[in-house]
Amino acid sequence: MSTSAFHRPEARIGAALLAALGLLALLAPVLSPGDPLAISGLPLVLPFTEALHPLGTDRLGRDLMAGLIHGARISMTVGLLVALVALTAGMLVGTLAGLIGGWTEAILMRIVEAFQIVPGFLLALAFVSVTGPRLSTVVVAIALGAWTGPARLARARVLVLRESDFVAAARVLGHHPLEIALRQVLPLALPPVLSLTAIIVAGAILTEAALSFLGLGNPNAVTWGAMIAEGRNQLRSAAWLSVLPGLALLLTVVAIYLLGEAVADSLGARDRR
Amino acid sequence: MTAVLRLVISRLIGGIPVLLIVLAGVFALLEAAGGDAIDAYFASIGGGDAALAAQLRAEHGLDHSALQRFLFLLGHLAQGDLGWSVAQGRPVAPLIAERLPATLALMGSATAFSFTLGSGLGILAGRRPGSALDRLLSGGALLLHAVPGFWLGLVLSVVFAVKLRWLPVSGIETIASGKTGLARVADIAAHLVLPVATLTLIYLALFLRVMRGAMAEVWAQEFVLAARARGIAPRRILLNHVARTAVLPLVTLLGLQSAAMLGGSVVIESVFGIAGFGRLAAEAVAGRDPALLLAVILVSAVLVVGCNSLVDLAYGLLDPRVRPVAHRREV
Amino acid sequence: MPLSLTRRALLLSSAALLAMQALPTSARAATSGRITIAADSEPAQLNPAIAASNGTFFIASKVIEPLAEAAYDGTGLRPLLATGWEGSEDGLSVTFHLRDGVRWHDGKPFTSADVAFSALQVWKPMQNIGRTLLANLTAVDTPDAKTAIFRFSKPTPLQLIEKALPVVSSVLPKHVYEGTDIARNPANSALIGTGPFVWGDYKPGQYYLLKRNPSYWQPDLPRAEELVFTVLPDRASAASALEAGDVQLAAFSAVPLVDLARIGAVPGLAVITKGYEALTYQLIVEINHRNEPLANLKVRQAIAHAIDKKFVRDTIFLGHATEATGPVPTNDPTFYTSDVTPHAFDIEKAKALLDEAGYPVGADGKRFALKLLPAPYFTETRQFGDYLRQALAAVGIEATIVAQDAPGHLKAVYTDHDFDLAVAPPVFRADPAISTTNLVRSGLPAGVNFSNQGGYSNAELDKLIDTALTTLDPAKRVELYHRFQQLVTQDLPLINVVDWTFTSVAATQLSGLATNPRWAVSNWAELALA
Repeated sequence: MSTSAFHRPEARIGAALLAALGLLALLAPVLSPGDPLAISGLPLVLPFTEALHPLGTDRLGRDLMAGLIHGARISMTVGLLVALVALTAGMLVGTLAGLIGGWTEAILMRIVEAFQIVPGFLLALAFVSVTGPRLSTVVVAIALGAWTGPARLARARVLVLRESDFVAAARVLGHHPLEIALRQVLPLALPPVLSLTAIIVAGAILTEAALSFLGLGNPNAVTWGAMIAEGRNQLRSAAWLSVLPGLALLLTVVAIYLLGEAVADSLGARDRR
Repeated sequence: MTAVLRLVISRLIGGIPVLLIVLAGVFALLEAAGGDAIDAYFASIGGGDAALAAQLRAEHGLDHSALQRFLFLLGHLAQGDLGWSVAQGRPVAPLIAERLPATLALMGSATAFSFTLGSGLGILAGRRPGSALDRLLSGGALLLHAVPGFWLGLVLSVVFAVKLRWLPVSGIETIASGKTGLARVADIAAHLVLPVATLTLIYLALFLRVMRGAMAEVWAQEFVLAARARGIAPRRILLNHVARTAVLPLVTLLGLQSAAMLGGSVVIESVFGIAGFGRLAAEAVAGRDPALLLAVILVSAVLVVGCNSLVDLAYGLLDPRVRPVAHRREV
Repeated sequence: MPLSLTRRALLLSSAALLAMQALPTSARAATSGRITIAADSEPAQLNPAIAASNGTFFIASKVIEPLAEAAYDGTGLRPLLATGWEGSEDGLSVTFHLRDGVRWHDGKPFTSADVAFSALQVWKPMQNIGRTLLANLTAVDTPDAKTAIFRFSKPTPLQLIEKALPVVSSVLPKHVYEGTDIARNPANSALIGTGPFVWGDYKPGQYYLLKRNPSYWQPDLPRAEELVFTVLPDRASAASALEAGDVQLAAFSAVPLVDLARIGAVPGLAVITKGYEALTYQLIVEINHRNEPLANLKVRQAIAHAIDKKFVRDTIFLGHATEATGPVPTNDPTFYTSDVTPHAFDIEKAKALLDEAGYPVGADGKRFALKLLPAPYFTETRQFGDYLRQALAAVGIEATIVAQDAPGHLKAVYTDHDFDLAVAPPVFRADPAISTTNLVRSGLPAGVNFSNQGGYSNAELDKLIDTALTTLDPAKRVELYHRFQQLVTQDLPLINVVDWTFTSVAATQLSGLATNPRWAVSNWAELALA
């Protein structure tokens, strides 16, 4: 990561927010021990009225603060895992297609296209309804709609790099194709693809929320999306139930975007140089 | 129009293998699901016995193997027959025809609004990158983009439909109102305001930020500097040179966004009680109705390909160097 | 002057806007004789003679009528298409006297041939409830146009037939269905009946429109001009639509319970809890007895003691439920007894029972792990699933919730038996023999939904259920079902938690609501805009 990314104040705000949220997520078991879904108090305690439940409780008496802290963990895990799966799959397919070419490329890119013309959310919806909402299936479902961008970008980069002088030189020197791929092509193809991370993470967190809204959240874990979705029925009588997790989600997504954009900009600037 | 049609058709023919992959994948997914159409039917009517289930399965051909049923469906699709919906007990084609207009209206207007509004505000923001106005616009749009769509929709609905009563709460038009002609159009438009506004506010940020980013890059390019040196009015430089060049990536985004819009409308349709395509897809999954789901996916794929073809043509008009090719190979 | 003009226009338009806002909800609704009702889903089968389910009745019972409807007073039944009935001494026949002067919506007269056709061609072979309830029906004699005699191969208690009439006996027009593929007859989606409303229009995903039947057999009824059922799948939007005056009635708890107190305080709206007494739903925990710990009675007792029914009633159902004592709801006027084995909320006792059963707390604080499948049909069943997971954790049982959509859940529980505990909301249909005894009776093949698929088998209970099915003396049947409740609460093949009925939210200008204990699924002839 280039240091120039942090020149802009937006980037610094984003990074600070994310660091705080990351810390919150990491320390969740310490900050709020026990099951965040435990029924620990009276239902619908107002925020800032009880020391034991600083942000109040939901309609079953589950602590909102605990939900928010542990929700950070799950929501960010979902986001990061989706990015990991989508980027890995995309890089793999894109790089293979670009390097091998021919029939393999044609077939791989047709598969990419197939995923691109189906609305990703429909796919996620169908996948989760069919497999049941667990953390793993939610991650895979969202990744199904997110891996095509990285794949196309990776392939485009590889195609450019494949024709470049230093790869040709390596070939002339008799390097093994796999070695060329790993040593010469991949390191250069990686950065622009990685710059998609922010968009994927932010999108994944929002998609998880939308799935929860349609009743497809994981009932064994607490996520911000599920909290907003459940709180929406009380939007008029207990707005804080959906507003607080909504704010948390908003902050996270904005922070990711700000940081991601700064990183992408600085990568782009380096590229241009 | 015929050019678009020809482009769409030739792309679809070129895309048949792709479509086959999609359809096979979706069918396999539904097959892997717990429960079938008869379980879904029993869930809806409150149960039934095993003999009745067996009888119904035989009636709907569910006693055949998955492969047989898939090939049967494909055979019908190849003949242009979308098949029979088990869940709804009706042919699929009219079902699609009923639901498509609402979604097209919703998606079309939301795309149009977010594109124009987003690029317009993007031009404003990109006029002086880094200015207070730029920060305000870019930041505001980003905040809206980070709000879950269903929540934004609910809040808008509570404020404008329930509290102020300016707009209807739900549906696509007043039920059995007997309205025709312009009165009906106005009625539908009033119903569309809130869902379209929700989608627009969410997708605004994408267009705004891309436009703004592209403008920032174009400003630095030589021909702009040259135009400046020639003493052309700043407003003309902004609109004729910078914005016109910067809008190209935006048009590309438009094509890419069409699939996302279609997906995003599922949630908004649910919030505003609109019987559209997204809800039909959800119903098809819940009803374990492969014919219906395949048809929905097929039609949305055609829509997405159609949008992309339109975008390519528009691109050609904006930038004469590019001419659309029947089946574009990606770079 | 252009300026003043625009200002005037502005003033005028804002005045119009204010006027629109000031317009009370009643004015908007009352201008037409139309009543708009929120419907949260669209039934997969609209023909109530084929699908005897509340989702179907909610819409179809206004068009197609049964022989009799439930009533608050007297015998608990009000004659509709039948004017009276009597059973034979031997229990092998029931004679129905049918109403004179009733016409189908297409003008043809209603006769005993229609009843015979419906019973033998539809209720018995096709209907989800009729297939078991009328399994012994062999013939329907029609000595004249107004008499139908049902003949059974085995003695069948009249009490059972009577209790089942509102649910089972929706009569179809023979002349429309005869000689056709009944399951695919177009009249299944454009219903033809004898009811107070005739079929108007159905726009899938949007609405059902029913219109007043001008030649209904009851004079001066129905009182409403049009009924529109508008499809609103998201429950938050049902509340909004009521408040905005777009909808005048939301039945079957379409407004989320948590929003009920707020919406009840909105001027012009009222919360109504009557009209569902014969539509009691039971919140139960289904148990897979094939599972090692759950086959142990002490473990089942421990689970029963671990559940705080009061919490479930007050927090999940916000008071709109009653704590259950056994498999017959406390509000049933005929069969209920409180003389059963109670399982009071007692965490210490639950822990002790688990220790006794040989499941001590392990090093990780847990005794054993379970798979819990809450039925997805109601918010409350899902929330109870969340609660049960916590309640079990409190006594050292680790439950993992497996969430699935409706078909997936049915397949997993009732066909594949892939569950340890499941949460189900069966309906109590006025007589335990209709659909309640099935929940504990052994020997039902896999794939029968809402039945005992937990592998539970109790010879004494089975014998009792079979005896009650052919016992003709009503008092004796009641006694047998008292014993049934005692056996179930003793041996806990399943755990009854609470019984609940629904609520309606209605505009205050509506009258004729909640006129019978099955009101939401009855014909609504008296419903009117004041």
